[in-house]
Amino acid sequence: MITRRLSTAALTLLMVSMAVASALPFLLMALTSLRTTRTFTLSFDFAQYHLENYVTLFTTHEFFQRLVTTIVVVVLACVLNIATATLAAFGFAKKPFPGSTAVFWTIIASMMVPIQATLIPLYSIMRELGLLNTYLGLALPLVGGFGVFLMKQFADGIPDELIDAARIDGAPDRTVFLRIAVPLMRPAIIALLIFTFLAAWNDFLWPLVSITRPDMGTITYAIATLSGRSTTNYGLVTAGATISFLGPFLAYVIFQRRFVEGIALSGSKT
Amino acid sequence: MAAPVRTARPTGGRPAPAPGGRRWGGLAYVLPSLLVLLVTALVPVFMTVGYSFTDYSILEDGEFVGFDNYTRMFSDPVFTSALRVTIIFTLISVPLQTIGALVLAETLAKRFRNRFGQFTRSVLFIPSIASMVVAGTVWRMLLGDQGLLNEILRGLGLEASNLLGRPTSALIAVSLIAVWANVGYFVVIYYAGILEVPASLYEASALDGAGGFRQFRHITWPGVSASTVVVVVLGTIWSFQTFDLIYVMTGGGPGGATSTLVFAIYRFGFQNFQMGYASAVAVVLLIGVLAISIVQNRLLTRKD
Repeated sequence: MITRRLSTAALTLLMVSMAVASALPFLLMALTSLRTTRTFTLSFDFAQYHLENYVTLFTTHEFFQRLVTTIVVVVLACVLNIATATLAAFGFAKKPFPGSTAVFWTIIASMMVPIQATLIPLYSIMRELGLLNTYLGLALPLVGGFGVFLMKQFADGIPDELIDAARIDGAPDRTVFLRIAVPLMRPAIIALLIFTFLAAWNDFLWPLVSITRPDMGTITYAIATLSGRSTTNYGLVTAGATISFLGPFLAYVIFQRRFVEGIALSGSKT
Repeated sequence: MAAPVRTARPTGGRPAPAPGGRRWGGLAYVLPSLLVLLVTALVPVFMTVGYSFTDYSILEDGEFVGFDNYTRMFSDPVFTSALRVTIIFTLISVPLQTIGALVLAETLAKRFRNRFGQFTRSVLFIPSIASMVVAGTVWRMLLGDQGLLNEILRGLGLEASNLLGRPTSALIAVSLIAVWANVGYFVVIYYAGILEVPASLYEASALDGAGGFRQFRHITWPGVSASTVVVVVLGTIWSFQTFDLIYVMTGGGPGGATSTLVFAIYRFGFQNFQMGYASAVAVVLLIGVLAISIVQNRLLTRKD
């Protein structure tokens, strides 16, 4: 019993230290953002804390515009991804057409293509379409086959009887889709919403190569450039990083269970 | 009940669908998704392969040059170094994050299935929601000259370190930060996998007197093999794609010591504007990622 208790104590200590290692860097970041400093260490001299770094970001670093850009791109990406994926999943599962299986697997195959490998043609295509430096141009590459894959698993589970019954009652396909399919796919839609939100908010490489107008930069893009330039005041850099961190973090605190369910949903069933 | 549906379907104000119209009705639902993916993923794959056989650059429209880019690539130290860095990064981060996540998940599932355990899992996940840009920014400052690490070292009377300034330690450092960033995500996958292992197996082996480690080795480890495939494959793909973290932590330096394959693509394509050459590097990345995905499918379907 004593060894059991000792091992529980040791394991508890291990878990606590792992949790501290995960959270401490972000806590340090948030605390540093309230100071004007060239060091990155713990300081509990609260008298020196202030909000000037945040004010500077919004007044001289266009963070308001960047926040707007980020939010528009995130919303666009979420709407596009969820709309196209639910529609496609419903089509594949309930309205198969000649060749639909082949089209489905083509879309699934696109999931395996990393954007890093297609950056160059993607850039040329977006330039031809006139979408460089636009919200839509930033959002489109965030639409992927993953959503279709995730939704299809749920669409398959919708009972045909339910759909047939609605059709007998005279419901057009549009109504069947919106009133029956979409509510039944809700858990997958929420999971996809969370994934797309994170991917869009945190996206960096595509904005880095495709943005040439500074005002079109997202928050994530902005702090990467800020972190390279400003070594004189770590407070300013960490203030930007804190704003960037806060979006996903607040979403996580509010929808915590959904995050974990979403990963379990997608991770264990590849 | 299914048969009358077709005839009972009212047409509303629209003309009755042609006999073939219903067969193709599903296409309209699929089309938006297909169109977007054609433009953003499927066509670009073939274009990348096509570009890789040309000398397409900011100066030239691109003439067919056969395998020139590929032969040049394998004698270009920038590329071979990037390939080596990517492989070392993967070999350090994937095993550590896989074992770390499994040990943490097993401990949490077996000893801390309570509020403390739940809280720990929630906190471990925090690095996964932050962008790699934020994580890298914070860690560069933590490990930097005026960071917490050096503060502690100086406090202990030791010499300040310059981890990110030396080639070997910089590569090890960014690999370990990737482990730190990913491990919570994989804990979630492993935790779900462990919960799916039938409890009766553990009870039976406990009656046979099996201890924690023997249970782990003979029940948990084989029981979570599907999760292991996902964790290893996803981890490998992620490490092949690594860019953001390194961009903000070291900028690929010192002297290219942390320049990955994606860094090479970025540099050749978007800084030197040699798009044809960069595409050849992209094809190597593509083949690597596709090969891993195919191996994953093989391993997972064999299990079913």
